[in-house]
Amino acid sequence: MSAIITLENVGVAFNAQLRVGSPRFWALEDVSLSLDRGDRLGVIGRNGAGKSTLLRTLAGIVAPDRGRLRREPVSCQLLSLALGFMPHLSGRDNAVLSGLMLGMRRREIVRRLPAILEFSELGDFFEQPISSYSTGMLMRLGFSVAMQVEPDVLLIDEVLAVGDAEFKEKSGAALRQRIHDGTTVVFVSHVDEQIRQVCNRALWIEHGRSVMHGKVDEVLAAYHAEPHAAAKHAPGA
Amino acid sequence: MRLHYLELVLFSTYAELRAERARSYLGLLWWIIEPAMNMAVYYLVFAVILKSTQSDYVPFLLIGLTFWQWFKSCVSHGGYAIWQQLPLIRQVKLAPAVFPSVQVLADTLKFICILLLLVAILWASGYPPNVAYVGLVPVALVELVFAAGAAYVVAAVVPFLPDLRFIIEQVLQVLMFLSGVVFALDRVPEPLARWFALNPIAVLVDAARGILMQGRWPDWAALAQVALISCVLYAFGAFLIGRLTPRYVKLPT
Repeated sequence: MSAIITLENVGVAFNAQLRVGSPRFWALEDVSLSLDRGDRLGVIGRNGAGKSTLLRTLAGIVAPDRGRLRREPVSCQLLSLALGFMPHLSGRDNAVLSGLMLGMRRREIVRRLPAILEFSELGDFFEQPISSYSTGMLMRLGFSVAMQVEPDVLLIDEVLAVGDAEFKEKSGAALRQRIHDGTTVVFVSHVDEQIRQVCNRALWIEHGRSVMHGKVDEVLAAYHAEPHAAAKHAPGA
Repeated sequence: MRLHYLELVLFSTYAELRAERARSYLGLLWWIIEPAMNMAVYYLVFAVILKSTQSDYVPFLLIGLTFWQWFKSCVSHGGYAIWQQLPLIRQVKLAPAVFPSVQVLADTLKFICILLLLVAILWASGYPPNVAYVGLVPVALVELVFAAGAAYVVAAVVPFLPDLRFIIEQVLQVLMFLSGVVFALDRVPEPLARWFALNPIAVLVDAARGILMQGRWPDWAALAQVALISCVLYAFGAFLIGRLTPRYVKLPT
């Protein structure tokens, strides 16, 4: 199978401060990976290792400052909940607004509104301003909208399920269904168990550098074998 | 792709106006009350206290302020739009030009409401409708392009230089006086007058007054000249935003 996205020694720098001549901060130093169609890649690493920056680079939000990024003409989308939501607007209007920001066409979203309403279980609240929603309701709406986007490559930053216990089960099941339907996935997580469940390959990054790229069990084993890296995430720690 | 952005701009504008209505008790009435209060202040200062000797001063002032306030709101709202939406720009791949466009469109809709009210006031005070009203369409279109261009340029730069916010209001104030909004520019000496004629706002405000007060068609040559300036500014603004787009996400949070 041919790679749909390839990163070769990619580095991404941010401005540390809004000052003339302020030094740049390299969130990614040197990351290489290749992603095949249907891959489910888990990304592990400590806080600040550059995992989120890597996802945003794959999504095309952030451009590399060095190295090479090659991408076949595929859509990559970060699973973003409640993107662009405005408090004074109804659930319905926010669903349309968020859908547009996620790159959907208006008629496509309008066609999916009944599905969003049903999945979010908001009932009459769907027509109310979201400022009257509880956090749980907001999460349900956000997740229901985000799930309508069907990118070729789905990028997930930690969140696999949201809401109260019941909705967590439902949203988790919906997302797992999507993943196992063959969508290509890049999944960032701190939880070994989730990586094992979801992914067929893993990438370990440390201080913005890719350390190891391969089978899930092997990468997790190596990650935990390194005392420095494992200290924080060792089971039971 | 382009149609998608058009849909996004239109719906965001609707959302923006909806939210604005919900944020205050009087809601949409503020579209009218706020500019009316602003006009009342200038009327009080220049017509009542300073007793402007210019004939027809009140319609002169109202038309000037209506067209000026449209431009000013486009620049001050649109100019901060990218800066204010940086958190969103960091989360999703979007053309940042969407954000100032939404503000400019929202302010344009408000302008249309105020313009209709202004026309009604003019009719009631003895300036009847006339065929030259057709000329308002090109005048307003040129102002829209100029305002959008200015908003784009400011919006492109403010994320890198947020300090500009403190200067922009002052620059706008100076520009207002240089554009003949509150008093006529008929006493500007000749060498300077040629430069003043390049100021799109001065030309546009003058054209609007001619149409609404005297039924006089715009000076097409002058209008064409400022139309060209406006298009150049617009293209430059759009280019600047496009050019700086990869750098917005790299700014510190």
